[in-house]
Amino acid sequence: MLGVGVPRTSEPSSNAASPSPTAAGPVDFNADIRPILSNNCFKCHGPDEAKAEGGLRLDTLEHATAPTKKNHRAIVPGKPGESELIKRVASKDDDVRMPPPEMHKTLTPAEVATLSKWIEEGAAYKPHWSLVPPVRGESPAVKNTAWCRSFIDAHVLARLEKEGLSPSPEADKETLLRRVSLDLTGLPPSPKEIDDFLADTSDAAYERVVDRLLASDAYGERWARLWLDLARFADTKGYEKDDRRTIWPYRDWVIRAFNSDMPFDRFTVAQIAGDLLDNSSDDDLIATAFHRNTMNNDEGGTDDEEFRSAAVVDRVNTTMQVWMGVTAGCAQCHSHKYDPISHREYFGLYAFLNQTQDADQPDESPTFMVGSAEDKAKLAALDASLRDREAELAAYVAKNDTTDAGKAEADRLTKARDAARAEADAQRAKLPSLPIFRDLPPEKRRTTKIHLKGSFLTQGDPVEPGVPAAYGDLREGEPRNRLGFARWLVDRSNPLTARVAVNRCWEQFFGTGLVETVEDFGSQAPLPTHPALLDALAVDFMDHAWSMKQLCKSIVTSATYRQSSRARAECMERDARNRLLWRGPRFRLDAEMLRDSALSAAGLLSRKLYGPSVFPRQPDGIWAMPYSGDSWVLSAGEDRFRRALYTFFRRTAPYPSMMTFDAGSRESCLPRRIRTNTPLQALTTLNDPVFVEAAQGVARRAVREGGSDPKSRAAYIIKLCIGRAQRDGEAERLLSLYEGEIAHYRANNDNAIKMATDPLGPLPEGMNAPELAAWTVVANVVLNLDETLTKN
Amino acid sequence: MNLFHEKSHATTRRHFLGKFGLGALALSLLDGRAASAALSGATSDPMAPRAPHFVPRAKRVIYLHMAGSPPQQDLFDHKPKLAELNGQPCPDSFLQMERFAFIKGHPTILGSPYKFAPHGQAGITTSELLPHFHSISDDVTLVNSMFTDQFNHAPAQLFLYTGAPRPERPSMGAWATYGLGTDNSDLPGFVVLVSGGRQPDGGKATFGSGWLPSVYQGVQCRTVGDPVLYVSDPPGMDRAGRRRSLDALRDLNEKQAAYFGDDETLTRISQYELAFRMQVSVPDVMDISKEPPEVHEMYGTAPGKQSLANNCLLARRLVERGVRFVQIFDWGWDIHGTGPSDDLITHLPAKCKEMDRPVAALIKDLKQRGLLDDTLVVFSGEFGRTAMNEARNGSTFLGRDHHPHCFSIWMAGGGVKRGYVHGATDELGYRITKDPVHIHDLQATILHILGMDHERLTYRFQGRDFRLTDVHGKVVKALLA
Repeated sequence: MLGVGVPRTSEPSSNAASPSPTAAGPVDFNADIRPILSNNCFKCHGPDEAKAEGGLRLDTLEHATAPTKKNHRAIVPGKPGESELIKRVASKDDDVRMPPPEMHKTLTPAEVATLSKWIEEGAAYKPHWSLVPPVRGESPAVKNTAWCRSFIDAHVLARLEKEGLSPSPEADKETLLRRVSLDLTGLPPSPKEIDDFLADTSDAAYERVVDRLLASDAYGERWARLWLDLARFADTKGYEKDDRRTIWPYRDWVIRAFNSDMPFDRFTVAQIAGDLLDNSSDDDLIATAFHRNTMNNDEGGTDDEEFRSAAVVDRVNTTMQVWMGVTAGCAQCHSHKYDPISHREYFGLYAFLNQTQDADQPDESPTFMVGSAEDKAKLAALDASLRDREAELAAYVAKNDTTDAGKAEADRLTKARDAARAEADAQRAKLPSLPIFRDLPPEKRRTTKIHLKGSFLTQGDPVEPGVPAAYGDLREGEPRNRLGFARWLVDRSNPLTARVAVNRCWEQFFGTGLVETVEDFGSQAPLPTHPALLDALAVDFMDHAWSMKQLCKSIVTSATYRQSSRARAECMERDARNRLLWRGPRFRLDAEMLRDSALSAAGLLSRKLYGPSVFPRQPDGIWAMPYSGDSWVLSAGEDRFRRALYTFFRRTAPYPSMMTFDAGSRESCLPRRIRTNTPLQALTTLNDPVFVEAAQGVARRAVREGGSDPKSRAAYIIKLCIGRAQRDGEAERLLSLYEGEIAHYRANNDNAIKMATDPLGPLPEGMNAPELAAWTVVANVVLNLDETLTKN
Repeated sequence: MNLFHEKSHATTRRHFLGKFGLGALALSLLDGRAASAALSGATSDPMAPRAPHFVPRAKRVIYLHMAGSPPQQDLFDHKPKLAELNGQPCPDSFLQMERFAFIKGHPTILGSPYKFAPHGQAGITTSELLPHFHSISDDVTLVNSMFTDQFNHAPAQLFLYTGAPRPERPSMGAWATYGLGTDNSDLPGFVVLVSGGRQPDGGKATFGSGWLPSVYQGVQCRTVGDPVLYVSDPPGMDRAGRRRSLDALRDLNEKQAAYFGDDETLTRISQYELAFRMQVSVPDVMDISKEPPEVHEMYGTAPGKQSLANNCLLARRLVERGVRFVQIFDWGWDIHGTGPSDDLITHLPAKCKEMDRPVAALIKDLKQRGLLDDTLVVFSGEFGRTAMNEARNGSTFLGRDHHPHCFSIWMAGGGVKRGYVHGATDELGYRITKDPVHIHDLQATILHILGMDHERLTYRFQGRDFRLTDVHGKVVKALLA
């Protein structure tokens, strides 16, 4: 439901009746009219000039007031009675009424009234809000100035006060520490970090924690996870064969980029066009693997051009979605029905990305070898030596000496060749080659043509590279190539990039973006809940040189973020989804955080950074794929317990627990994970050996570190898993569970041994099986508590 | 709209808290579905049963997919002319504007080595490779005029199940459960069973939820290992122990629900209880050893094995218990003739032997239990096979390459005609001559049989209302009784 009157923003006022436009002030095109037209009319009378049924377009004043084929005028400004639009939408006659019956859409009387009033007031059109570059306005005035810590809070509070709501008190320190630790690093705080924070009573304590978290390596890992969904990063090529692909150095580049707080504009240019920079570094080349994460089809009989073209389409759509929140994909086949991208303009974007050498080849060329100059030189020398050995052997074999001595010599030379090969291969293994971007040489440049109806087989007119006119243009003097395009994405004149970036970041902290559809800022998207805040954040982000860490810091230090997440009945009734931010965020951890948190609580989590993807525990049979002998071989040692983002990602058979908790398949860009709550998730955290192992680890820590009194151990388990002291009789309840379990396991020692050791391993010195088994059951319960699975 | 899930939880909250009536609540949330349709359901659980758009012919679907695609010329679409011209070069017109997966040069016509005869009252003519099918052919609608846009396995399977040839969109079973929920909350609503030792070429996306909430993805039930992943308690924990631990979990979660006032916690409590019930109900439904000997005899089942026969019996057990959509994949139907393991003379009869008896048994069993009337069974591959011998690299084994222009499928139950043949192909079985049925038409028809209008079953994603049939598809009314 759209709030039709003031405030002109998305959602809330939801349950409260919205004032009708006739009662409130003038009608606003973007808030009141565009959603009606977009939802009901644009499909046939929108920006798609090829459609324009009856010769009518309603997306601009000029078109809407021009005579139609039947010489009607849809809109006569100031005169709703003479406007065909009103006649049609208000008609009771199925043959006359718009939208036609087969659309299954009918305007409500209130919508018709709003349209009439708007026409009466002159039918003023405005460009869509997202096409107007953000400007930072004055922070709004609020009554409760004492509550505000930053401009964020002023915007949030102003809206709350307008709605007659008040913010929630600050969350307690333990809750806040766990919240901010999970948000910034994806990991819960350790017992020592909790104690240190509680002991630090100075005003700066929280900010110190924030700075520590932002400086930790784990920060980059946590934020890389999000970016890898957008980059559709995976360790295989996709499609039917879905063979392995070496591209993990790109993942490591992303982690390092976040950790070094690489400005988002540089981060952008490196990934889209790092190869075209003057003196591009190795890292710039690795960054271009962003767009080599597209799928590659090695299946027999496929047309390489078809799949190359599919990859370029994917790159256009992904780029527009990730940076600009524009769903360009529609315009691949026809002009966009809702947003201002024509079919031709789509291929203007396509043309920017259509000059790279890659062409769906099985070897994924062009590739780049990652490593030091020294290591590469050593490989070159070893390869030269291998060639020498091969030549020697070939020369000798040519002599055809069949004497015993001759055979012995051939044998010696063969061994020498094999040794040289083994040495070269061992060196090569240290130097991974990953697919990257390289432009074609000038004489081989492709001419981009429109793909009629989106098919690469039927091509129309040639198209020059260019961006859709409604979104602006490249700066004067910029090259009209990939590099110029990349710079345009992060030019301050680009109306969308900064807004989309801060909105995505906001969503990570609050669970929902200021624009809920983080992937779509267009005509079909809901309006922002706090438009001025979105713009202020966007401008602030650019003013701080596109620093992601600064953005994160400004959000997590706000009073808005620090609120308690406990519900208040009066606010729940008004705004159950907390779109107005009257309380702090509370939502389930994502798949990776769940696993990492459990392993961290257990003391099992490896903090090894970077490197080839790893193979933690996974049930047998997940990898039974056609045409592939590849198998999942469990990693050894600490690689079994690495953070989830290092888990080998096979597109056609992703890691099952990740899928259960809403991770995508990485086959295409995933801008937003939709959270679900299912019984299969419960089975996973209860019974998946990874989580059972974590429970065993937590149990051992409780016995080792939690004191000798069972109640203090129970409390310690809560501290390990939820990061807070026990509350409200929780430890007693766990204790009663423990007592029942230990009695049960004393009578069943075999089961006790299994429960305590399978799969973690033998009982530690001095611990007994029934006790440890009972604590494992307790830990399994605590790891499954709602509060453990949730950021509170 | 993607709010569906979260909003449905908001509804749960209200439901639990009793502050609001059950009422209209989240009803407009099944985007594209008429609110009136959802009115009857009126609960918050995303898997709760929901009324369709109109009176359905079937409540549930069993889809039998022969991955790789069986040759229609050797099973269902009798072409005597092929035998007549066997070994002669195919007409030039077959090669113009064509791409083949493997055929090179000018291939020769391949007549079916198998005899065809009419069977049953309806006299549907089918191959000697399907003796059991003959006994059910009066119950089926055979469509000899299916066609697709795709000629490689993975894209063709994805096209069939998601309406698009690349992985991203929700699958048919996901759409069905999104639209209708499921009738047994103790079992997943959309179950996938795989035999032949391999996943389908199209991967998990053939039964995935795409951008629908993941609750709608197909749950693969396995015949080896845990029937559903992680359904077994950890080693050393018995059922009573799990119950004790879940009691503690619930007590603590209730405290936390009271503390935070977040109804998502209440949903979670109910999901843990459901998980506990599934731990019993899933292994129970998957355990076919309790079936009487005559049932095993009928299907040719052997408990504990991974086989199409076992999966056919499981499909019956699942729909009997109210599962909405059962998707079966059987690997090994890609009859190229590169060797004895994928040829027409040795391999195809072996595959047919594995398939024919249990599939016919499934139809008969559903019928005798009164389930066939409101269960739709569909049998298909992902495309057809060529009228020509593939002879890859000069292979002397007989086989056929991929062919998108025509193929055969059949349907039974769920208000489709009985003993009816729809559509026809030319005398060489190369192109359709009558009543073509496109993949999108099949999808529209299946949804129609389930009581849903394929143009109204939509989900808003990235600013557009998507549907299974993309922007195409017509219900094939001629198939309906």
